[in-house]
Amino acid sequence: MVPSLIIYGLINSVALALIALGFSLTYGISRVANFSHGALYVVTGFAAWLLLNRVQLNYYLAVFLAVVLISVIGASIYRLALIRVRGMPLLEIIVTFALGTAALEALRFFGFFGSNYSLPPLFRGGVTLLGVPVDTQRLAVVVIGGTLVFILWLVTHHTRVGLAFRAMAQDEQAAMMLGIDSDLMATWSLALGAALVGLSAIVLLPLSFIATESGANILVSAIAVCILGGLESTAGVIVASLLIGYAQILTVAYLGPHYQMIVALLAILVTLIVKPSGLFGKQKELEERV
Amino acid sequence: MKMKTFRLLLMTGLAAGCVLLAAASAFSQQKGQPIVIGAPLSTQYLYGWDAQRAMLLAVEEINAKGGVQVGNARRPFRLEVLDTRDLEPGVPLSEAMLVVEKLILEKKADVLMGGPVRSEAALAAMDLISKHKKVSILTTGSLTPAYHRRIGENYSKYKYLFRITSEAGQLAKEAVDLFESLKQEHGFDQIFIMVQDVAHARAISDIVSKTLGSKGWKVLGSEVYPTGALDYSTGLLKARDQKAQILFVWMDHPEIAILVKQWKDLKIPALPIAGISSAVEQPGGWANTDGAVAYWVASPANAGNAPSNATPLTMKFYEAYKKRWLVEPEGYGTSSSYTAVYVLADAIRRAGSLESDRLVAALEKTDLIGVYGKIAFDPKTHQVIPSYNPKEGAVGTWFQWQDGKRVVTWPATIAMGKIRIPPLMSPSKGATK
Repeated sequence: MVPSLIIYGLINSVALALIALGFSLTYGISRVANFSHGALYVVTGFAAWLLLNRVQLNYYLAVFLAVVLISVIGASIYRLALIRVRGMPLLEIIVTFALGTAALEALRFFGFFGSNYSLPPLFRGGVTLLGVPVDTQRLAVVVIGGTLVFILWLVTHHTRVGLAFRAMAQDEQAAMMLGIDSDLMATWSLALGAALVGLSAIVLLPLSFIATESGANILVSAIAVCILGGLESTAGVIVASLLIGYAQILTVAYLGPHYQMIVALLAILVTLIVKPSGLFGKQKELEERV
Repeated sequence: MKMKTFRLLLMTGLAAGCVLLAAASAFSQQKGQPIVIGAPLSTQYLYGWDAQRAMLLAVEEINAKGGVQVGNARRPFRLEVLDTRDLEPGVPLSEAMLVVEKLILEKKADVLMGGPVRSEAALAAMDLISKHKKVSILTTGSLTPAYHRRIGENYSKYKYLFRITSEAGQLAKEAVDLFESLKQEHGFDQIFIMVQDVAHARAISDIVSKTLGSKGWKVLGSEVYPTGALDYSTGLLKARDQKAQILFVWMDHPEIAILVKQWKDLKIPALPIAGISSAVEQPGGWANTDGAVAYWVASPANAGNAPSNATPLTMKFYEAYKKRWLVEPEGYGTSSSYTAVYVLADAIRRAGSLESDRLVAALEKTDLIGVYGKIAFDPKTHQVIPSYNPKEGAVGTWFQWQDGKRVVTWPATIAMGKIRIPPLMSPSKGATK
């Protein structure tokens, strides 16, 4: 039992990190809590499905175009809607939540419901690790998740755009004084955040199926990870994903699957009470000290 | 004088017109006023849309033959469907209640049919429907034994409510009988249970656990998953580690498709038997799971939801549904919803009225052969009477996915093939060729 808990706990944790990375990146740079995050995940799945099954594109081209499309949608959300309410956090949340809900309801309206929509796995076959069978797609989740975190670190530390992102994250007004276009960077952050959640959809959806109902779950998972880890911290996302991922697996194993859903919600609640800035967050650190 | 004559003529003409209009209205009411069937269904889920399609098919067939005889007039059916969303996770039951009330008050439904689909919603709607004295025939979704038990305990209040489809107690009995037959044939006696956290599934888990325990089975575990759960790996690995021979699953949410895929990916060496489990029941189950559903056994509750020759009407319905909707009957709720419209037409004809008390009396005397056997209601609980023999009662059906097809394998009276054991199960565990 222990090896399977270790292996599947890790897979669950990396899946959570994949889901939360985009949300954290967008918030870290632009301070926009993108509540359409779950909807973007679902839309990517359906876009890839349509390109694959209706347009009959090659699999890799279909998923690539789906990710590009979702990043364009992410950028459009900022340019067309958020730019008008920038700096008003409550309105930003309302706008993104409304857009996400509208997108999911529109999908339902056009008949995208039921369990008829699924993406084929990127990789087939499986291996046995420590006596536990693991399919290649799940191993790919771990590898792709790790690679994405590394690429994100490279981009934010060794490219001009990445450095501009970090400057924005540290002090937006100072960054603007240095000639960094705040709106452009925020647009990029929404686009990148959307691309990341789109990528997570492409990697994770072959393990399940595409369902509009999962939008809410994805959003809650992303928020739970980001609040526990610290809203703008990539390191926090990784640590929080491991904590919540393993807590979920252990809960299922020893308390029963019925309580699995509570873990993420409990993480949000406890963090907000004990340390509102999260494990690695700096957003409310000063208020906490005071 | 001229003016007087004109006025007289005008008055006479108007009076004659009024009489003619009144007569025409009365005539049309008697002749063509549709009988409104109000269907509260969770239309974005299998057990909602398949019921809707099946009812519409029956309504179209009956209307094409001139409608239903009500006293001296023939009247067509009209189907009014509203979405209850009660199968969706997180949607409050009050939504379904509002829909039921809307069907009664706004859509002026003469009879309710179909749902609410979720057991909890169906139970909650009992008082509301009874308050309006509307006859209701449950055809899909709600399986909780509490439904017909309540009718039996308070007949005078709930006498307007009927259920034409199977219920958890009967399905649990069928499951246990199926397991016993597998025990006899293959020596299986170890089972692991995974169910969804809904009333009927929990009831089935309890009944099956207790009954199998008393019959010498080892119930290795019984896990309850929240609606919408996305990961089942831990439960599956528990089943594998404890050497379960049968994996008994009861989940009506679409997320069971994930469990099916994980069962295959994790190479769980146990025969998977699912009860009411949407993604496994559907004709598209094979394609949707990329073939992972091979060897899965499932019950879409009533015969006719998978191909068999239970009655002479079974394949007739099967082909008609396929022709109308370009898909095979899709799962639980299909054959029962289709049959319910015919049962209602028969009861209205015999009652000669849409008056609720007369309809109740007529429905209680129902005795006809439907798609899944003889249809008759228990006079005290208004639950359809079950049987393994289609000539004696409503017969259930259990099929297995074999080579991309749904092959009915149980009960023996309507079986079209035998259960195959997954190759992963070693001979010592009772595997057969």
